[in-house]
Amino acid sequence: MTLQFQPPPPDHVAPERMVEFDFFHIPPGVGDPAEIWHDLVRRGVPEIFYTPRNGGHWVFLDYADIVEAYRDYSIFSTYQTPVPPIEPFPVVQPQAVDPPAHNTFRRLLAPMFTPIAVRGMTDELRRRADQLIEPLAERGHCDFIGDFAERFPTGTFLYLFGLPESRLDEFLALANTFFRSTDPAARAGNITAIYAVLDQLFRDKQANPGDDIASAIVTARNEAGEPHDWTDVLNCGFLLFVAGLDTVTNTLAYIWRYLATTPAAQQHFRDQLDDPDAFLRAIEELMRINAVSNLFRRVTHDCEFRGVQLRRNDRVVLPNTVANRDPRVFADPQTIDLDRAVNVHVTFGVGPHRCVGSHLAKREVMVALQEWLRRIPPFELDPDQPAGSVFGGSVMGFTSLRLRWDRR
Amino acid sequence: MRVLVDISRCQGHARCEDICPEVFATDAIEGKCVIADPQVPPGLEDKVRLAVRNCPEGALRVAGDGKGGA
Ligand code: HEM
Ligand code: SF4
Repeated sequence: MTLQFQPPPPDHVAPERMVEFDFFHIPPGVGDPAEIWHDLVRRGVPEIFYTPRNGGHWVFLDYADIVEAYRDYSIFSTYQTPVPPIEPFPVVQPQAVDPPAHNTFRRLLAPMFTPIAVRGMTDELRRRADQLIEPLAERGHCDFIGDFAERFPTGTFLYLFGLPESRLDEFLALANTFFRSTDPAARAGNITAIYAVLDQLFRDKQANPGDDIASAIVTARNEAGEPHDWTDVLNCGFLLFVAGLDTVTNTLAYIWRYLATTPAAQQHFRDQLDDPDAFLRAIEELMRINAVSNLFRRVTHDCEFRGVQLRRNDRVVLPNTVANRDPRVFADPQTIDLDRAVNVHVTFGVGPHRCVGSHLAKREVMVALQEWLRRIPPFELDPDQPAGSVFGGSVMGFTSLRLRWDRR
Repeated sequence: MRVLVDISRCQGHARCEDICPEVFATDAIEGKCVIADPQVPPGLEDKVRLAVRNCPEGALRVAGDGKGGA
């Protein structure tokens, strides 16, 4: 396999734009993985810089540049973007396809994730959250990651795809290897296993369609009235599996970590349990401050961007967490203001690939928070938290988050 | 006061609907903004302005009272 998309040696990068930065590496003692990004801003590195690490890539730090990169797919493509480069990478539908072809699967998914559609899922999400939280209340402590934050979105995936609850552990195991394993052999086998499971699932749904998203994808027709390419169907299933798990898990983890260390914020939410407007506004601020995703793009042709020479196949990493604290856009950006009135955060991206699951993700967070606060009294971090349970990368987060509270 | 959406910019964040559901909705097919009546009902002007400022795509704008046809 030729490394066709391997970036060339960076002789087009001006020396003052070179910065050593490895976004997978979280130094010992750093409790919040996003801090490695904010540290760059504090150090005053150029707002467009290049790091030779992880195969070499650009980083944009200015909100306006990050937004422009999301929108201008004529320069910044989502096709074959992994950092470090892995090739060939599955062309996940619709994220790894540029407009206009992107529209085919985007339009297929969009109706199933609108605010109206997601409102219809609320009761079931609530039932599932409740089922997980109820037994914890008695215990007085938990590992929030393993006991809730991984199980809840994985269960949501089973629900959306019309799969039985009994397969939760199997899907948890697949997801855990996918997101956390660093062993190349385990990783390769894992992707094969996920595709095998999806292949079987879509075949079952094709034979016996139900009222679920997997059935809708497999029975959909393209403009010519034909079924979609089987590879595209699998790649869409694969994206839905990976896009809504680690992101939701770590968003929850960040939020619960913040609440555990900020009793006033816990109280704020307890006071708003019956005021959906205020609750939503506050969640939007939690989304701004806890942006777990760093997105990738690939440069389509040699060009100049903001006076900087970019070369075809250069990779670009867009840290949402940095965009969301840009003082040119957000008043008092480091302050978590649960009543913030204007909040144009980019946690779900912007432009054509804006997270199609954003309404679902916010609903999951809202329902989880409501049910948690109804059942669990004020909670705090457990002092026996294992050290070093953080990770960086395209999604940042925590491998463990121990919480405790007074038993009822 | 009138409020208008540039549907080619709208990407369906639904922030407008979250803030002012009296004026903004989201369609069930593409998941994009729908404004049933661009004429903003009296009393909702501030909420609509807030929705406009919260659109991450800059897809919304307010115009005058529309009597000139805007
Ligand atoms: C808090 C949780 C989540 C975060 C932070 C998040 C973030 C994002 C971001 C930043 C993008 C843009 C990708 C890009 O521009 O390259 C995206 C796209 C996407 N997300 Fe999410 N996401 C979350 C939850 C979900 C959930 C729950 C689902 C679905 C079940 C989902 C499905 C998708 C899909 C299908 C896309 C691709 C859309 C397209 O290319 O048109 N996400 N997400
Ligand atoms: S907030 Fe803006 S982008 Fe989102 S639905 Fe409303 S108009 Fe569209």
